[in-house]
Amino acid sequence: MSLISMELILFKIAFALCTLSVTGYLLSLLVKKVVLAKISTWILAIAFGFLTIYLLLALISSAGFHNFGSRAFFSFCALSASGVYLVLQFKTKTRLLGAFISPFVLFFMIAAAGHQTGKSLLPEAWGNWLTMAHLTLTIVGGVLFVLASCAGAMFIIQNGLLKHKKLSSMSRLLPSLNDLDKINHICLLWGFPILTAGIVAGAVFAGFTWERGWPADPKIIWTFSAWIIYGFLLHQRLAIGWKGFRMAVVSCAVFILFLLSYIGVRFCFTTLHDFI
Amino acid sequence: MIVLLGVNHKTAPLAVREKIFAGCEEERDLFSRLLSLKGVQEVLYISTCNRIEIIASIEGKEETIRSLCDFLAQNGNLTQTEAEKCLYNYCDKEAVRHIFRVASSLDSLVMGETQILGQVKDAYRRALERNATGTVLNRLMHRAFRTAKRVRSETAIAVNPVSVSFAAVELAKKIFGTLAGRKILLIGAGEMAELTGTHLISSGADDIIVANRSPSQAVQLAEKFHGEAVALDTLSEKLIEADIVISSTDAPDYIVTADLIRKIHHQRKNRLLFLIDIAVPRDIDPAADSIDNVYLYNIDNLQDIVDENMNIRKKEALKAEAIVEEEIMRYTNWLKELEAVPTIVSLRTKAEEITQSEMEKVANWMQKFDQEEQEKIKILVNSIVNKILHTPVSVLKEESSEVGSTDIVATVRQIFRLDE
Repeated sequence: MSLISMELILFKIAFALCTLSVTGYLLSLLVKKVVLAKISTWILAIAFGFLTIYLLLALISSAGFHNFGSRAFFSFCALSASGVYLVLQFKTKTRLLGAFISPFVLFFMIAAAGHQTGKSLLPEAWGNWLTMAHLTLTIVGGVLFVLASCAGAMFIIQNGLLKHKKLSSMSRLLPSLNDLDKINHICLLWGFPILTAGIVAGAVFAGFTWERGWPADPKIIWTFSAWIIYGFLLHQRLAIGWKGFRMAVVSCAVFILFLLSYIGVRFCFTTLHDFI
Repeated sequence: MIVLLGVNHKTAPLAVREKIFAGCEEERDLFSRLLSLKGVQEVLYISTCNRIEIIASIEGKEETIRSLCDFLAQNGNLTQTEAEKCLYNYCDKEAVRHIFRVASSLDSLVMGETQILGQVKDAYRRALERNATGTVLNRLMHRAFRTAKRVRSETAIAVNPVSVSFAAVELAKKIFGTLAGRKILLIGAGEMAELTGTHLISSGADDIIVANRSPSQAVQLAEKFHGEAVALDTLSEKLIEADIVISSTDAPDYIVTADLIRKIHHQRKNRLLFLIDIAVPRDIDPAADSIDNVYLYNIDNLQDIVDENMNIRKKEALKAEAIVEEEIMRYTNWLKELEAVPTIVSLRTKAEEITQSEMEKVANWMQKFDQEEQEKIKILVNSIVNKILHTPVSVLKEESSEVGSTDIVATVRQIFRLDE
């Protein structure tokens, strides 16, 4: 069996497992059984394993991370999202968070499945450790912000149920407000420096590549504004003492705003970052 | 047969239960006395605050049941009328159903409560220590524990709290996750507030402040919880520290206003605050609930949760009853199989006796064979007898466990003339 066909099989297995995991998570919300979310977490962990092996093989066949094709790149995004979530699981045991983050993992997998394998993502001249660091850190930082917003969304739901004096099965299923706020805090606390490092790596690379410095790229502006706003959120949390409901609402609002503006940038402009 | 008799919270008032309880506790050797009653083979005695019951495996019916009833009535100094009114008794399947329901907490005052299983297990342990149980009751109790375990794991009967104080604890856990390190502020020293505080402390909260108009009462309660007693005028300071506030004073106006909460919320660094107002008239301004990160529950809100949980328990009880029926079926099948055992033993003994006597008749003829050949003939004869008996014994075991086929044992006894 050739390396390419092996990669394809591994990718297909990981894709099927991701789909199964998302279905399990959504079902757990529907039937309000946390045991389904627990099983789905294990399935996602197995998918993570297959995805890791697939990416290692892709790394061997493409002779380096910078030569990754679009499929491998989106798979890496899915790997980061599921990896960060699974690590967070060890710390917080809030299995139901998976019901909110796993659709993003599946979205990356669908994007990966829609792209041809083999074709290199970046021009050969861009292939160095700075671009690798830039891509990895920006993706992980972004994933942490997605998680912070998911925890925020769950906080809003739980808050609504408790404010309406309903201790329903949904309320029992969702984690406690304090745990959700803690996840939001951890994700912002880690996400911000990681995204900062990612942006710095990109800026340094841009400084080397284009002597005139940063090109006025819509996606760079988009990422930079995201960075500023998340920095502002972190500042409000640490210095001003924003907590709980307000933090959850602002995190979610910012996330939705960025998602919408991303879609706008993605489809209306040609950018240096056309691969994502 | 299995018989269960006793009194519980539904049939006897507390005074009667107390009398029987005291009488039975005074008995020096309760189990020996019960076992000495005519017809009692195995016995178990269960006593909790809501029930006193005797389960026994007996021979004969009316007379033994009567003597067991008399035993309880005499120990409780009950009159004939009282005994007739309070004592119930169940036989066989009904007795099995009752003990399975008791162990599964379906017959409890608060359906789904978790203590009863431990109490039944204790009762069984005491009977075991006195060698008062045998094959029938041992199996019965193990089945009862299995039924209770299934009910607990397969239904949500014990999941949701059905008391106001436990509902408050569950809400606190939904807000704070773990209660470790949380500070409780008790305003007023009411009984309900004290009970809720006790439950919160036993669930992990480790610091308590008592604020009361009467300092002596505050000190008394604070000492009980190893907490701090403060005067009511330091309330706003203490509200800054607290995570959970339980208020139960008889003050006519609001003690904690929404403005006060707003004022201190920044000093509290917007931390989550759970306010429990169990006072009538209310102590905490309902407008406080509209503040972010503040969750206010009054006595009606908590009672609504309890009522809703009770309804859920009632629905779950239907599933639990189905599990009980399934387990009753299994146990009674085993019991019927057990009934066939003496017949099977008699059948085998009769076959062995026939073989023995026939072998003795041909003993002289056997002499002409050497030792090895004689052994072979004996083995052959035994093997033929066993093969002939195999089918009737198997059928007897299978059929006797089927409901409604009680005649098979009698038929076999008649065909093989086992009673002669």
